Amino acid sequence: MTFKLSRQQLQLLTVGIIAALLLVGAISWKAYGLSADMSPREMRDAITATVDYQAILFVNLLIGFSTLLMIMQLRGDALRVLLTVGVALIFGYLMTMLFNLDASVVFSRGEFRVSLLSDAVPLTSINYGDELTVELNDPRAETPITEVTHHFTGTAGDVVSVLAFGAERRSKLNMQLTLLDNAGNVLQENLDADDAQKRTFRRYLQSDGDAVVEGFVLPATGFYTIIAKPEADTADVNAEFTLALLSDNAPPVTLAYGSDPVGGIFNKEKTDAPLTTATYKFSGGKGDMVTILAYAFRGETDLDLQVTLKDANGEVLAANNDASAEQVESYRPQLKSTQDAIIQNVILPADGIYTITARPEPLSSSAQLRETVRATNKAYDAFLFGPLSRLNRWVIWIRDALTLIMLGLAVAIVFRAEQFSLGSEGQLYFGALVSAIIGLYFGNVPKTILVPMALLSAATAGFLWGLLPGALKAYLGANELVSTLMLNTIATRFYEMVLTFQLKPPDAGYTSSEWIPNNGLLAPIIDVNGDQITIAVFILIALVLLAWVMIQRTPIGYEIRMIGANIKFANYGGVNTRRTIMLTMAISGAIAGLAGAHLAMGIHRKLILNISVGLAFEGVVVALLARNNPLVVPFTGLLYAYLRTGAQMMERDANISAEVVRIIQAVVILLITAEALVSLFQQRRMKQRDKLMSSQGDTPAPAEGGA
Amino acid sequence: MDSSIVQNVLQGIFSAAFLASILRVATPILLPSLGALISDRAGVINIGLEGTMLIAAFTGVVFSAYARDWFAADIATTFGPWFGMLLGVLMGVLVALLLGFFHLKLKASLILSGIAINFLGQAATVVVMYELTGDRGTTQGGLKSMKMPFIQLPEFLSDIPVVSFFFKVFDNQSVMTWIAIIAVFVVWYFLYRTPIGIHLRAVGENPNAAASVGIRVQRIRYLALALSGVLAALGGVHLSMGYLTFFQNNMSSGRGYIALATPYLGGGNPIGTGFAAFIFAFFEALSIRIGTLDIPSMLPQMLPYIATIMALVIYALQSQLTVRVRTLRSAEGEMFDASFWKAIQQLSVLHMFMAMIAVLGIIVCLSMYSAPDGFKSLVQGWDESDVRVYGGVIGLISLGLILVNLPFMLKVERIGHKIWYSAATSIAALWLYLGLLLMLFLRTTALKEVSGIGGIILGLAFAAAFWVLMGGRYLLQNPRGTPAAA
Repeated sequence: MTFKLSRQQLQLLTVGIIAALLLVGAISWKAYGLSADMSPREMRDAITATVDYQAILFVNLLIGFSTLLMIMQLRGDALRVLLTVGVALIFGYLMTMLFNLDASVVFSRGEFRVSLLSDAVPLTSINYGDELTVELNDPRAETPITEVTHHFTGTAGDVVSVLAFGAERRSKLNMQLTLLDNAGNVLQENLDADDAQKRTFRRYLQSDGDAVVEGFVLPATGFYTIIAKPEADTADVNAEFTLALLSDNAPPVTLAYGSDPVGGIFNKEKTDAPLTTATYKFSGGKGDMVTILAYAFRGETDLDLQVTLKDANGEVLAANNDASAEQVESYRPQLKSTQDAIIQNVILPADGIYTITARPEPLSSSAQLRETVRATNKAYDAFLFGPLSRLNRWVIWIRDALTLIMLGLAVAIVFRAEQFSLGSEGQLYFGALVSAIIGLYFGNVPKTILVPMALLSAATAGFLWGLLPGALKAYLGANELVSTLMLNTIATRFYEMVLTFQLKPPDAGYTSSEWIPNNGLLAPIIDVNGDQITIAVFILIALVLLAWVMIQRTPIGYEIRMIGANIKFANYGGVNTRRTIMLTMAISGAIAGLAGAHLAMGIHRKLILNISVGLAFEGVVVALLARNNPLVVPFTGLLYAYLRTGAQMMERDANISAEVVRIIQAVVILLITAEALVSLFQQRRMKQRDKLMSSQGDTPAPAEGGA
Repeated sequence: MDSSIVQNVLQGIFSAAFLASILRVATPILLPSLGALISDRAGVINIGLEGTMLIAAFTGVVFSAYARDWFAADIATTFGPWFGMLLGVLMGVLVALLLGFFHLKLKASLILSGIAINFLGQAATVVVMYELTGDRGTTQGGLKSMKMPFIQLPEFLSDIPVVSFFFKVFDNQSVMTWIAIIAVFVVWYFLYRTPIGIHLRAVGENPNAAASVGIRVQRIRYLALALSGVLAALGGVHLSMGYLTFFQNNMSSGRGYIALATPYLGGGNPIGTGFAAFIFAFFEALSIRIGTLDIPSMLPQMLPYIATIMALVIYALQSQLTVRVRTLRSAEGEMFDASFWKAIQQLSVLHMFMAMIAVLGIIVCLSMYSAPDGFKSLVQGWDESDVRVYGGVIGLISLGLILVNLPFMLKVERIGHKIWYSAATSIAALWLYLGLLLMLFLRTTALKEVSGIGGIILGLAFAAAFWVLMGGRYLLQNPRGTPAAA
């Protein structure tokens, strides 16, 4: 076989080598965790400090080589494949944006607190539900208390009861109560509670001397004054008494100077009526200087708050969206970021009830869009660069790629003969089952014998499970699509049955087999904290080469290609189409069986339920992208596995469902298989070329190869 | 575990309630199956049924939920579900036409773009669901969907002796189930009695020939895909709105793929497809029902798939036989004995079915071997070795039945030449199956004491009668067959 490169091939080779080297460099750079500010010496140390760094370099070189092969094999089509993936990625980006349309919700969701600070003496000193205990006539005090005056805020129509009673059961105190309005008019007075009242307020009233104002209906909204003092006969008695203000109505004010912060959760998820605005009231005296803080509770939320202060008439006195950096500094620990809001040192103009409104800051649509794009970019960053961000993710990528490449090869071979067999899934299950059973039951056989034996058995199982639909198709004309779909389910159920009833240890909590003993596992060449890349790499290289040689350089490969091109022609040409179709499907099954063995012996190291969730369908995408060319499958398998791993990272890091990748997958399939799409463009290009040529009178350029 | 549980399960299986549950389970298989059938008969099998079902199921839920907000309360409660269904069907058609556009216009591979539609359906529903409800699993939390109405039969039917049984089966079924049953006949009428249906089948048989007589192939194929979209969408709507009121991620769980196989199991016609869907539904309902028995649920789940493979084989063998008979007819002319060949053809089907059921018996044997624990509870006092022994017996009998029936499958003329041997093998096999089934059935009725002997006698009677009806009577009249056939 002579090997002579034409100029065009030489150009391609150059482009390919450059692309491959760039890719190897970029991936290695990330995998070894290098950065631009390292000195060459540091870089060398970083590389040699990485576990199995030679093997990593080897695998990366293989990736580069697969790229070179792809470019050399697909030529012009390589561009189309990459373009399709690019278009699909853009589509996926738009989808991710759809996911992130509500990304800005993080600014309006979360737990918050509102604090009211003031040095002023509070205008009111008692609130609904309060019980205040005071010692009268304390001889030790400098100015003994002889009477108590309290102010409270009430809403018109509230029903209040005021009680004054001795703190001890046998208190000698005899109290009297006066309720006044803001102007000082006496509304009600009481000296002693009667028996009925004592029964009603049994919890509170202790003795005959206690006083009560029962069930008083407040005539207007405003301030009221309570005066409690001992009646004249016990004016000098030193004793404690308690003043209680009771009402079933909601207190008109919920905040007081320096009281504990109040708050809640804005836009809590999964609630029927999420809180969007929080309103609090407080009683303010004229000239009081108040400071209001509204802040996200617990620092890690992105909640962005705004706060408004209104007076009793609803006039806005002050409002704030964001605290300044100095304000944040001076009001630590409450304020944590400038997204918190603060109304600082406002002097109240009059006595009255003031309203504080706290709510998430409304966002402009441009800000929302910006946030959506930001979140999408973050997600796509995880998607596109996630697999390289850590070495174990790199391992997961390569490991999954190995399985996918094997499946891609399996699918490519049958698709080459235009047989739409989707049986790889079932063949994979059987391969996994058989290899694991051999590993589990012959664990003491030396590795050098056991591993080839397990692999061979897996391949045989897959071969036979592929032979079946092959024979059905070839000799009975049974639709291979339907029969393979049926056989997939049968294989899956059979696998589940054997796993559940035979392999599962009786005491195991969940359905899985025991660990396959070390002798039955593929030997690792890279091991990053238990995530391994195994010698399956070498098996795969051999498989790719064998598949290529089989298709391109053997009689059966020639027959496969002929059947794929035109089965009737192949038949007339003397090809035993039946035998070839059957064999093609069986060989594809053998490779799929090996993929199953890789899952069992290389990745999971035991059998689990759902060992493959539709992996075979992904093998279809891999084969399609590679245009069913075994030499291109490694690259497309790597590419596709990269997207898959990236999607997992995106799901983990950015909380975007990996479903987006399925959509990308669908778009890729539709665009790649749409043959007419290409000819549409080609026709246009040819027309343009014709126009150019006719205008220049040039000789027609030789037709491009490939396509 | 004792035999009373087995008894309960048996009673459960031979009951109107079980039949009713089969109907319920069959609906979402039957509708897309008819869709697959129509598209297959037009030569553009719609692989994207699964995705279409998901999209329609989801659309139905979304719009029936929105109907509550969009329409007045009384209109919404009456027409809301129908509105959801309508839009679900519309989406189904759009998806099918998308597939049609890519395949027919852009020349994409039909199978691969069908797979792409399935990916799209599975993923897009989740993406939009997340967008609308903030949940990736179900719409239960966010969307209050509606249920399709149920059909109550007139009460007086339950008083008529035999009708009352069917009353129990058909009463209170979802309207979707009735739509599915009616659809079988509508599709049959459409395919065999309308011009478009005949064109459609012509296009599927040979598009070039159809085009040469002026049939617009592309248009017919678009139509076939759209119809398959309608039927798949109805099946999807039944999933989410028939008995449930919410959508669940991937809730079609492979029914769209099963639907691709049922036309093959049903011999490529709507009635057969309907029966095939019921076979799948039977096994699905069975696997739920025998859950109390500890038998591996995978076994009944596996059986319909194996049956489909068998049916593919039978279908293929039969079509090969048909071709041969046609050739013979044109070669022999006057000498051709039509009734003889008709009998042979029918009896060969019987042989094949007997062998097919025996293959299922071998699967049962393998299951008993690989999962003996599961079968222990079947009979009181069994241990693992008993299960294996009985499994072995079943396997041997099944193997024997396959072996004795195989010669008649491979060379159908033998049926005519060795009538008595052929009759013996097929009747014996049928007797065994029917006898067992009747025994089990009688155990659930008042005739429990005589179930054994009754099963044996009735089984033999039925088997013999069946053989005679299937074509035995021709052979009895004309025992040799025509000399030319030899």
